[in-house]
Amino acid sequence: MEFLSRTQVIAALAAVGLALYVLELVRRRRLSEEYSLLWVVSSVAAAVLGFSTPLLRAITRALGILYEGSTVFFFGLAFATAMLLYLSVKLSRLGQENHTLTRELALVRFELEELRGDRPAMAPPAAPGEPA
Amino acid sequence: MGAPRVLVIVPAHDEAESLPATLDELRRKAPGFDVLVVDDGSRDGTAAIARARHVPVVSHAVNPGVGGALQTGFRWAMARGYDVAVQLDADGQHDPAHLDALLAPVLRGECDVAIGSRYAAHTGYRAPLARRIGIALFAAVVRLAVGQRITDTTSGYRAYDRKVMAICQYDFPKDFPDSPLLIDLARRGFRLAEVPVEMRRREAGRSFYTLGRSLYYPYKNLLASLMVLLKRPG
Repeated sequence: MEFLSRTQVIAALAAVGLALYVLELVRRRRLSEEYSLLWVVSSVAAAVLGFSTPLLRAITRALGILYEGSTVFFFGLAFATAMLLYLSVKLSRLGQENHTLTRELALVRFELEELRGDRPAMAPPAAPGEPA
Repeated sequence: MGAPRVLVIVPAHDEAESLPATLDELRRKAPGFDVLVVDDGSRDGTAAIARARHVPVVSHAVNPGVGGALQTGFRWAMARGYDVAVQLDADGQHDPAHLDALLAPVLRGECDVAIGSRYAAHTGYRAPLARRIGIALFAAVVRLAVGQRITDTTSGYRAYDRKVMAICQYDFPKDFPDSPLLIDLARRGFRLAEVPVEMRRREAGRSFYTLGRSLYYPYKNLLASLMVLLKRPG
């Protein structure tokens, strides 16, 4: 197997390590399958490029890149950008869902207090994050 | 049909300093109106102040923002059969003495949303320069978008009828419910009208418009206005 540099070997091994770690996170249910997809695809792609120098060379030439290392950086950056955008979208949705739940909870709590008849004397709710 | 039922919605985020005066003034100057305080995740006992005065209060556990508070208020009002809701700031800027004037065009059926405007008549209110530029900009945006002159797009003193509430209880901007909201409502076919009112300076607490927000505000509302225009009217 031909390697262009020691860096390539390290990068390829690191990519394999990352892929295994991502799978381990999924196994321990610390990372959902949904979020693992982009990580697994990108780390496997990085490992394939790392171990197959002819493929790396071919892609580098096809994209008009002069140096193989830049190809790796290019894919790394593309992945990071895709991941960040994906997370921003998810975060926006979570924020909206959070606000909807906050409003619903407030209305339900009001009705509960009203039904119990203890609404006017209620103390303000404890702040989340504060020690009880 | 009996007399229309009106609810005054007071969104409040950490307004413990101003809220007592605002609620007392409401009781004094507008005793006939029902009031709801929407406590938007306050940490300073805002909700307790309202409860102590026997004003119903709906409390958010976190703070989605003034738009979120209004949305909660609209849902509460709709569920309890109110015909009109008035949005009135907790910080004492809005004088309840203007409530009747603000409500009049809505109750007469002349418009669906009445906006209390500082600039529709000469009321002596003079904003700082940066603020005036922003005001002119957003008045121009609204005018371009819907062909109607709204002089005070940032006014938080408004009355909404039940048809508007029916939509806003589910679909409402979470922060800065200003020019994009007005454009959206106008494009949905609702009639907007301005009513000249006087506003006071804040009596306590900090202004909603801090430096970071004053930079974010134009960006957010220009973008949101554009998105409203790109959306098909419906």
